[in-house]
Amino acid sequence: MRVEQLYKKNTHSWMVMGRDPDRREEVIDTNQYLIQSNGRGLLLDPGGVENFSVVAAEFSKHFDLANVEAIFASHQDPDVISSLSFWIQANPKLLVYVPKIWVSFITHFGVSLENMRPIPDEGGVITVGGRDLEVVPAHYLHSPGNLSIYDPEAKIFFSGDIGAALLPEDHTDLFVTDFAEHANCMEYFHRRWMPSNTAKARWIAEVRRRDVEMLCPQHGAIFKGDDVGRFLSWFENLDVGSGWSNVR
Amino acid sequence: MNENIYTRNMGEEYDTIFRQCVSLNTELHKLVPLAKQMHLLSSNAVSSAARAGSEGDAFRVLTQDIQLLGDDVSNCIDDTQKIIGEIVLLASNLARLFSSYVTFGEVLSHFEDDESMITSPNFFAKGQKKIAGDLRDNNNQLSRSLGMLINLLSPVSTLVKKGEYLAVCSSVEAASSGEYGVSFEAVSSMLRELVSQLGQQSAKQSSLLRDLSEAMEKQQINMRNLLYAR
Repeated sequence: MRVEQLYKKNTHSWMVMGRDPDRREEVIDTNQYLIQSNGRGLLLDPGGVENFSVVAAEFSKHFDLANVEAIFASHQDPDVISSLSFWIQANPKLLVYVPKIWVSFITHFGVSLENMRPIPDEGGVITVGGRDLEVVPAHYLHSPGNLSIYDPEAKIFFSGDIGAALLPEDHTDLFVTDFAEHANCMEYFHRRWMPSNTAKARWIAEVRRRDVEMLCPQHGAIFKGDDVGRFLSWFENLDVGSGWSNVR
Repeated sequence: MNENIYTRNMGEEYDTIFRQCVSLNTELHKLVPLAKQMHLLSSNAVSSAARAGSEGDAFRVLTQDIQLLGDDVSNCIDDTQKIIGEIVLLASNLARLFSSYVTFGEVLSHFEDDESMITSPNFFAKGQKKIAGDLRDNNNQLSRSLGMLINLLSPVSTLVKKGEYLAVCSSVEAASSGEYGVSFEAVSSMLRELVSQLGQQSAKQSSLLRDLSEAMEKQQINMRNLLYAR
C-alpha cells in the first residue's frame, strides 16, 4: 500500500493512499484521500469494507484518526463508501457528507441520519479545521448524484470516478507519466460509466474556472500540471455513454 | 487455543445459528396452512352436525371442541410467526456484528509492535468494545427470544394429543350415527391427518430449537473464551 503526501503547507496537507498489492484480485484498486487542516481531518471516499483495516492502519501512521471529523462520499458506490459503518463504529460522532439524493440509500450501509450531512445538488462548502473546500456538482459523472471537491489553497481537485483509470497490476506510478498511454486505460471506463456528454461539458467548464494543479481520481494515477489540461481536453472530445458495445 | 481459533469458531457458529434460524422460520411457516385447514375442518364439522339434526347432538359437542382446538392452534401459530421474524433478524445482526468485530481485530493487529502509529489503538479498541457489547446484547436477546419461542410451542404437543383424542371420539360417534356416520368419520379422519402433520412439524421444530439452543450455548462459551484470551 502506498501512502504519499500530495501537498503540505503549514498545517494544511493532502495525503493519498492506494495501490494495495495485497487486495484480492477481483477487488478494484481505490485511492483514498485524507485532508488535514489545523489538526482536523476529512476523509474523501474512504473505500469499501474490503480495505477498511488497511486504510485505517495506514492512515493511522500519519494522522491521529480520532481527529477525523468528517467523511465525504462523492457518490454511493460500495468501493467509495461501504466501509462507512466501520468508521462510525470507531467514531460515532463522525459527520458524513453525501449527495442529498443518496441519503436514504447510504443509510443501508448501517448509518443513522444523525451522522448524515446531505449536500444539495448545487454543491456547497465543507469546512475542515477552519478551511473551506468547494463542493462542485459532478452529477451523471457517473452517478446521478455525484460531487467533486476543490481545495483553493492546495489547488487540488478531487474528481471521484472522473479521470479514473483501470491500470495494470504492475503499474505503480502515483502520477500520470505518459498521458497517451494512460488514456488507453481510461477510455473504456469513461465511455462505459459516464452517461452524459452534457453533464461532462458542464463539469469541464467548472474545473476550467478554477486554478487546478492536481486532479485526483478515486482509481488510478493522479494528473499533475499540464496533464490536468490534457485530461480535460481528452475528456471533452470523448463521446461518453457509448461504451456498451464498441469499446473494450 | 489462541484468539484466532476462538474467532474462527465463533464466526462459523454465527453462520450456523443464522442458517438454523432460517430453517426454523421455514418450518414454522409450514404451520400456517395447517391452521387454515384446521379452521376449515371445524366449519365442516359444524355443518355435518347441523345436517344431522338431533342425531348430531353428541357430535355437535365434539365440534365445539374441534373449533376450540383450531383457535388454540391458530393463536399459537400467530404468536410464533411474530417472534420468528425477530429471531432471524437478531441472528443476521449477530453475524454482521461479528464480522465487524473481526474487522476491528484486523485493524488492531496492525498496531501490534508498530511504534510508528500516531492514532492510539484505543480509538479502534473502543469501537471493538462497543461492538462486543452489542454482540452480547444481541446474543442475550436471541436467547430470550428462543426461550419465548420454546414456551410458545410447548402447548403444541398437548394440542396434538387433544386432537388425537377428539379424532377417536369423533370416530366412535361416527360408528353410532347411522347414515350421518360417513361425514362424521370424514371429519375424524381429516382431524387425525391434521394433528399427525402438526405433531410431525412440532417434532421437527423441537429438534431445530434444541440444535439452536446448543449452538447458542456453545457461542456463549466461545464468547467467554474469546474475552478471556484477550
